[in-house]
Amino acid sequence: MKKVLGLALGILTAIGGFLDIGDLVTNAVVGSRFGLSLAWVVVVGVIGICLFASMSGRVAAVSGRATFEIIRERLGPRAAGANLTASFLINLLTLTAEVGGIALALQLASSVEPRLWIPVAGLAVWLVVWRTKFSIMENVTGLVGLTLVVFAVTVFLLGPDWSTLADQTFHPGVPANEGRDVYWYYAIALFGAAMTPYEVFFFSSGAVEERWSAKDLAQSRLNVLVGFPFGGILSVAIAACAAIVFLPAGIEVSSLSQIVLPVALAGGKLALAVVIVGIVAATFGAALETSLSSGYTLAQFMGWSWGKFRRPARAARFHLTMIVCILVAVGVLMTSVDPIAITEFSVVFSAIALPLTYLPILVIANDPEYMGKHVNGRATNALALVYLVIIVAASVAAIPLMIATGAGS
Amino acid sequence: MSLPPDERPPGRILDARLHLLDRQVLDVDGVPTCTVDDLEIHGLDGSDRPDGTQTAVVTSLLSGAVLATRVLGGRPPASRWHRIRWTHVTDVGTTVRLGVHGDALDVTWTERWVRDHVIGRLPGGRHDPG
Repeated sequence: MKKVLGLALGILTAIGGFLDIGDLVTNAVVGSRFGLSLAWVVVVGVIGICLFASMSGRVAAVSGRATFEIIRERLGPRAAGANLTASFLINLLTLTAEVGGIALALQLASSVEPRLWIPVAGLAVWLVVWRTKFSIMENVTGLVGLTLVVFAVTVFLLGPDWSTLADQTFHPGVPANEGRDVYWYYAIALFGAAMTPYEVFFFSSGAVEERWSAKDLAQSRLNVLVGFPFGGILSVAIAACAAIVFLPAGIEVSSLSQIVLPVALAGGKLALAVVIVGIVAATFGAALETSLSSGYTLAQFMGWSWGKFRRPARAARFHLTMIVCILVAVGVLMTSVDPIAITEFSVVFSAIALPLTYLPILVIANDPEYMGKHVNGRATNALALVYLVIIVAASVAAIPLMIATGAGS
Repeated sequence: MSLPPDERPPGRILDARLHLLDRQVLDVDGVPTCTVDDLEIHGLDGSDRPDGTQTAVVTSLLSGAVLATRVLGGRPPASRWHRIRWTHVTDVGTTVRLGVHGDALDVTWTERWVRDHVIGRLPGGRHDPG
């Protein structure tokens, strides 16, 4: 019975923890401009993150080594240092976007100016990172984040023309008023939103934090393989809401209030309250994961003592890194930059940086010195190679497309 | 007919570059201590710059400022080297294990500084997460 509960809890947290500000914003923007014609990218992204997360989780559980220790060991200080710089900065950008997302969601709930909420959000994130147990942190944000299911309910309440939606999904094409390059630019953004590198840093380091061993592999694989696809369905639901309400009117989503508008239209005040709670939980959870990831990546590269399971004084440099990163994120947001704009950039840069973490994990997952009999099977490797091509292609194409399309405008 | 004499030295063969450099170092309790940023090598005759004609041995693991010279090239002044003596090493696998406490080593001075001046002074910093 306890086992079943643990399993259910793991899966539910994976669903609730899947969405972050990147998924919310990108899916809503894409839905409002392209309908569901990019839904296939979410499918590609979800399969990719399932593969990537289960591989890095397996590496961490079997070898006890987290992602950046391995990157350093395999690539040496120069290449790994360049990799760390890129990954760390993009992670910081994502952290900034998530803290901004918390503030915007609290603004929706309270009408209080977001710059008053930003320091509060930053402090709250730090307090949880500082004092709360890893498992409690994971489960609470994941379970509360499940309230985002209201997006899926909204799709039904809005009573859409199902044949149009199905047509967009299964016969994807570039809408008449959008360019082909913009379509592909958003395809990459959506891919980056689903396959954010921090999820992998967090997932692999979390496996070490929770002391997974080879025995726990089956459970972790199930969490990922069931939880993430459900999270992907919620992503598509967000896009569908925007497609139903905004696409016919030709309105492009550019704020959080627009993202939740379909929910308010269909479900009224109560649904709006629920969705705001969900967004706060999702962005708060992701802000915790990105703050921890900033500490994980730097500490693992440098060989410092790290981990939330230790008291802070026993992982002092790790905690100091997180404090500095949260302060930087809060400082950047206080300049009144638009968190939505930061989010749109962060997902594209995530796609650009993805090969940097993907390739070393793939190499180690095939190394018997680390993995023993748990090395990748043939089917996994075949799929992993297909994804290597996709990930490199998306990474290479991202910057030219960003310049050509003026970042999708 | 006799077999040719086996000239390999007994024991495990380690490639310093492959098995030592950039590996995580764990102390006797399994706490991450540092990464092997570089190695100090002495010739058997005691020279600190063996020229490759004589047998050389690893005398210390180095960490700290020496990392910058691995990235940028050059050699830090000897006063800036933080050594872990090779005699402290108990095992080399996917990690390098030490037989001593990391806290007692010079290489962890930044950890102690940050603990004593910043993290240890914040409320709750010395307690287990609740």
